[in-house]
Amino acid sequence: MNIQRIWSIVGKETMELRRDRMYLGLAFAVPLIQLFLFGYGMSLDVKHLKLAYLDHDRSSYSRDYLYSFINSEYFDLTTLPIGQRRADELIRSGEVRVVLEIPPDFGRRVAGGLPVAVRVYVDGSFPSRAEISRGYVLAINNLYNDTLRENHPEWDLPIQTFFSYWYNPSLDSENGIVPGMIVLNLMMFPALLGALLLVREKESGTIFNYYSAPVGRMELILGKAIPYVGVAFAEFLLMYAMGLYLFQVRFIGSVVVLFTGVLLYCMCTIGIGLLISVVTASQLAAMLVTFLATVTPAFNFSGFTSPISSQDAVGQFISKLIPASYFMEIVRGCFLKGLGFGFYRPQFLSLIVYTIMVYFMAWLLLKKRIA
Amino acid sequence: MVQTLVGPQESGASKPSSSSGGAARRKEIIAIQGLSKRYRRTDPPAVDDVSLSITRGSVFGLIGPDGAGKTTIIQVLAGVVRPDAGSVMVAGIDVVKNPEGIKPLIGYMPQGLGQNLYETLSVQENILFFKNLRQVPEERYRLNSERLLKMTRLDAFLSRPAGKLSGGMRQKLALICTLLHLPGIILLDEPTTGVDPISRRDFWTIIQEMVSTTGMTVLLTTSYMDEAERCQEVALMNAGRIIASGSPEQLTAGLQGELFELSGPGLSQKLGMAKRWPGCESAAMFGESIHAMLRPGSQVDELVRQLDGAVVKAQRIEPGLEDVFVHMLAADDKTDLTSLAARLVVHQDHDDAPVFIDHLTCRFGDFTAVSDVSLQVNNGEILGLLGPNGAGKTTLIKMLCGLQEPTSGKAVVVGFDIRTQRWALRSSIGYMSQRFSLYGDLTVWQNMSFYAGLYGLTGETARRRLQSLVELLGLGPYRLAQSASLPMGLRQRMALACTLVHEPRLLFLDEPTSGVDPIARREFWNLVHGLATGAQVTVFVTTHYMDEASHCHRLGLMQQGHLIVLDEPARLISRAQEEAGPLLTVNADDFARAFQVLHAAFPTATLYGRRIQWQTRTLQQDQQKAAALLEQAGVHGRFAEIRLGMEEAFVHFISTSGL
Repeated sequence: MNIQRIWSIVGKETMELRRDRMYLGLAFAVPLIQLFLFGYGMSLDVKHLKLAYLDHDRSSYSRDYLYSFINSEYFDLTTLPIGQRRADELIRSGEVRVVLEIPPDFGRRVAGGLPVAVRVYVDGSFPSRAEISRGYVLAINNLYNDTLRENHPEWDLPIQTFFSYWYNPSLDSENGIVPGMIVLNLMMFPALLGALLLVREKESGTIFNYYSAPVGRMELILGKAIPYVGVAFAEFLLMYAMGLYLFQVRFIGSVVVLFTGVLLYCMCTIGIGLLISVVTASQLAAMLVTFLATVTPAFNFSGFTSPISSQDAVGQFISKLIPASYFMEIVRGCFLKGLGFGFYRPQFLSLIVYTIMVYFMAWLLLKKRIA
Repeated sequence: MVQTLVGPQESGASKPSSSSGGAARRKEIIAIQGLSKRYRRTDPPAVDDVSLSITRGSVFGLIGPDGAGKTTIIQVLAGVVRPDAGSVMVAGIDVVKNPEGIKPLIGYMPQGLGQNLYETLSVQENILFFKNLRQVPEERYRLNSERLLKMTRLDAFLSRPAGKLSGGMRQKLALICTLLHLPGIILLDEPTTGVDPISRRDFWTIIQEMVSTTGMTVLLTTSYMDEAERCQEVALMNAGRIIASGSPEQLTAGLQGELFELSGPGLSQKLGMAKRWPGCESAAMFGESIHAMLRPGSQVDELVRQLDGAVVKAQRIEPGLEDVFVHMLAADDKTDLTSLAARLVVHQDHDDAPVFIDHLTCRFGDFTAVSDVSLQVNNGEILGLLGPNGAGKTTLIKMLCGLQEPTSGKAVVVGFDIRTQRWALRSSIGYMSQRFSLYGDLTVWQNMSFYAGLYGLTGETARRRLQSLVELLGLGPYRLAQSASLPMGLRQRMALACTLVHEPRLLFLDEPTSGVDPIARREFWNLVHGLATGAQVTVFVTTHYMDEASHCHRLGLMQQGHLIVLDEPARLISRAQEEAGPLLTVNADDFARAFQVLHAAFPTATLYGRRIQWQTRTLQQDQQKAAALLEQAGVHGRFAEIRLGMEEAFVHFISTSGL
C-alpha cells in the first residue's frame, strides 16, 4: 500500500466535500436537526404521560388518591396494577414514565391525620421530561392535600411525595433518547455518505480514474474512508455538545472510552457504506440499500426502542449482527454509568472484528472492472 | 518548440520514432487475437472474434457506429473489462491475466466531455489529483504540466472549477490529466465529439506532438470520418467485427471501380435511379451531389444519360473514407428514401418565410445563451446550425418552438409570434429533440398513434396518415416491432415520423443524428432531402458534426451564442479560403520525421493522418522552403494544395469574428 496515494485520494475527497453543500448538509445539518426533533419530540409529550401504580393499601383512600391522577389529562393509566418486580422493568422498557407506590398503611394514616409518604418512580432518562413529570405529580398531590385540608385545616401536608429517578440501572438497560439517537445517527449518516462515495464516481464516470490507474483496491477504500471517518467524528462532536448543553444529558463516564468507541464505530459504519457502494451501481440504489441495511435494523434491534433482553430469539440474533447494538452498550454505559474500559471489552472486541470484516469484504468485492 | 518530454518507461533516452528508422522496424505494441465479449447471454456479442495489431508510436482509429464494439475494445485494453475469449497483449503484458500490470503504462479517457474530471475541483486541483494518484515525479510533473497547460491555453484558468469550463476546455483538461504521467499508450474514447473546432484543433496538436516527441501510441474511437482521416491506421467496425483495416490510403485504394461525383440542381430526386442502374455498384448523397461508384467497365456518360439531363457536371474523384464505409455497408441497399419521402403531403397554405428571426437574445442570469441572432429561413430550405456543445443551438430552437421565453427580440414562426401565440405555434410545427423522446416498450405503430392522438388525430384520418408515413419513411417492415429493440437509426426515423403526423410545414430537428451510425445518418439525410426538396417541408436542423454541414442548403455557424456567419456551405469554404489561404499538404514516407522538421519551421503545421498540412497565404514560398528543409533532412515529400474543410473554415470565421 502506498500512503501517498491514499493521501492524494483523501485530499481530493476533502476538497470535494468542502464544496458540496448536499454532502455537508447530509453530514452535519440533517443529523443535528434529527437529534433536535427527536429530542424535543420526546421531551414535549408532556400530556398523557403513561402511568402505572403499585397499591399496597387497596383502601378507598388510596383509590381516591390514584383517581385524582388517572382522571387528570396529564396521566394515562396504561397498565393495570402491578407487582414490585415489574415496576422498574416498565420504566426501563419505556412502557411507562411514572410509577406511583402507595404504602400499606396509606388509608389508615390519612384517616388518622398522620403524614404519609408516597414513592414516585420517574423515568429519568430525559431530564427535562422528568422535571415536567415531577411537576405534575407534585401539583396533583398538592391539590389532593388541599381537599383533605378543607376538612381538617390543622393538618400540615398530610401526603408527601418522594421521588426517585431511574437512570438505567444496569449496563444492558435502555432509554436515554439522546445517547440512543447519537448511536442511530452515527449509523445512518456515515453509512449513507459512505454508500455514495464510490457509486457517485461510478455514475459520473470518474471511477475509471482509479480503475485504469495502478491504484490498489485497499488504497482506494482507505482514501475514501479516512476523510469521512473524520466527518463522522465531527458530526458526533456536534451531537455530543448538543446533548450535553441543549438537552442537559447527564454524562458521567470516561470521555476517552467514549471517543475511542465513537472512532471505531464511525470507521465501521463508513465501511458498511463503502461496502454497499462497492456492490451497487446507482446512488438511488445505494441509498435504499443503506436505509434497509442500517437504519431499519438499528432502529428496531439495537436496543434503542426496546431492550434487547426483552426481544425474542430472532430479534436477539439480529441485534448481534448490527454494530449499533455493541456501540449502544458502550454509549449508554458511558453516558449513564461511567464504568471503566474493562467493562466494555467484549463490545470493543466485537466492533473491531466487525470493522475488519467489513473492510475485508469491501476489498474482496471491489473489482477494478466493469464487466 | 519541440522539446523532449520525459516518459515513464523510455526515460527520455531515445526518440523512438525518429531514431528507429522508418515504419518497418517499429514494434508492435498492442496485439489482440480472437477477442470476443458478450455482456449478457441473450445479447449479440459486443465484440466478436476481433484481431488487431497496433505499432508503437502510431495513431490508430477504431471507426464505426454506436454499438459497434469500439468502447468494449478500449475498455478491454484499459484492463477494466474482462474478455470472454481471445488474447490481448499490451507492451508485452498479458492484459487478460495481469490487468494491473499495464495500468502504469496507459492513460484512458472515457467517453463524454471531461468525464474523468471532478466538477467542483479547479483546473489546478484536478491536475494535482492526477499527479498524486499516478505518483508522477515532481520534475516530470513540472515540465509536463507547464507545457501542456500552455499548449491548451488553460494556464489562464487554473483556479476555475472544472464544472464551469466550456466543453472544449473540459476535454482539453481531461486530456492533460490523462497525459500527465506520460503514458506509453493512450486510449481515447470518442475524444472530440461535440467539441468546438478550436479546442479540437488544440486537442489534435497535443496528440500529434506527444506522438512525435515521446513515441506515444494513440488508440482512439470515433464515428466520424473526418476524425478517422487524421489517423495513420484505421479499422472499420460494424456489429462487433472489424470489416476493414489499414491506412486510410490503403482502404480507399482497395475500392474496386471508379468513383464519380455528379452534381446538378435537384439531383437528390434521382438517387434511386442511380442506385438501380446496373452499372452502378453503389450511390449515395454527399450534400447536394451524388457519389456513384461505377462497376469496372461501365461508363459514366451512360449513367448521366439515364438521369435525364439532371446532371450538370460529372467528374471522377478520389474516394474518401466515408465513401469506403458507405460502399462496404450499403452497397446492397437499393431503397430510395429520398424520392419516397418526397411524395409526402403537407399543408402548404402560406408562401411567406416559415421562420423569421429578428435580434433574438436569451440570457440565463449573467450567461448569454443566444446573443442577438437574426435570420430568415425560406420555404423548402434545409437550414443548418453548426456549432459545438453549448453554442446556443438548442436554446435557439427551443425559443422558436415556444418552449423558452426569449429575453429580447422577436421571431415569427409559420406566421405565429413565438411570445404570444405559443399554442397555435406548437400545433403547426414538428419538433424532434436531441434524445428523441419515445416509448421503448411501445411498437412503432403505437408510438406513432400516440403522437397522432396528441395532435388530435383519430379514426380513419389518423390511420391513413400513419399508413402513408410508415410507407414513405421506409418503416413498413418494422411497424409492429417494439421500438426499444430497433437500432438507433430506425428509432430516429420513427421519431421523425412522429413529428410529421400532423403534417407540419416546418420541422425543427435538434441534433437528430447524435449517436446514429454513418449509414443510418446518410439515410436520415436522404429522407430530409426528400422532405425538403420534394414535399417542400422546411427543415431547421442543428448539428455539431462538421461532416454534416454539406447536407444543408444554408449553414449558420454558431459560437458562444453568436451566429457568426450564415451562407451556403460551399461559399463559406470559398470565402474562408480566399481570406485565409488554402491548405498545403505534404505526403512523406517517414511522416514522423517530416513532421518534426516542418513543425519547427511552420508552427501551425499539423499531422493529419500520414500527411502534414498547414494553411497558408504564401503557398509558393512555403512550398519552396519546406521542400528545402525536407531535402536537408533526407526525406522525400510530395506537395499538394487542397481545399479547406468545413472545420478550417469554421476556425477561420471564429478567429475573425472577435469572439
